[in-house]
Amino acid sequence: MRYIIGALVMMAVMFTVNVAFAATAEPGEYLDRRVEIWNLFFRMMVVAITIGAVVSGTIIWLIWRFRESHPNAKPTKYEGTDW
Amino acid sequence: MQNQPNMRGLIGSMSDEHSSWPEWVYIGVVVALLCWVGAEAWNVERLVEHVPEDAEIIKVVGQQWFWTFEHEDGTKEVGELHLETGKAYKFEITSTDVNHSFNIHDYVVLLDAVPGRINTVWFSPTEAGEYDIQCREYCGLIHYNMRGKLYVEDPS
Repeated sequence: MRYIIGALVMMAVMFTVNVAFAATAEPGEYLDRRVEIWNLFFRMMVVAITIGAVVSGTIIWLIWRFRESHPNAKPTKYEGTDW
Repeated sequence: MQNQPNMRGLIGSMSDEHSSWPEWVYIGVVVALLCWVGAEAWNVERLVEHVPEDAEIIKVVGQQWFWTFEHEDGTKEVGELHLETGKAYKFEITSTDVNHSFNIHDYVVLLDAVPGRINTVWFSPTEAGEYDIQCREYCGLIHYNMRGKLYVEDPS
């Protein structure tokens, strides 16, 4: 629960900082929607690819580590019996 | 038969030995990422949709199969649009017949032109040059050629 609260607080602070900085644009200077939209796209792609790598890496490690033939494999209570 | 596990005992023994903190970390990370992604997208949308007060309004009308533009001073253009760098322009987009979609690809401007409705989008051209305007909603036989030209010039 502490992790969730901590993460949420961090998100809230980051977001507030973002909004505060965005509000200080000079008058007459217009934002470039190309930059904003493409930057958002690239940030989202970084997030997506990072999550994909972590999730698939975890699954691959899990399958490798907990295979029956792994040297450190230990049968659970419900394995290695004749039931 | 003596060794056959009792399901309740099995679940009980599993939960006794089971640590749940990785699950909580996982849930926390997922929730944090979702919050961050949502906040970023919401913030960018807010910034991009905030129309500057001094933006010049240009009425854009789509019809099969060409674009008409009307400047604030009443000047009309058909199939081409002349703008200046360093200024903000707000497009008020509608259609007289079927759905179209107004797109200036190089400036990431894309919005539907819908009969009976005015949709707005704004942008500010930064570089002088010629850019394509294109309909992005299939609108009939000659949709493929419902094109226009955007001429961006430096202020005189």
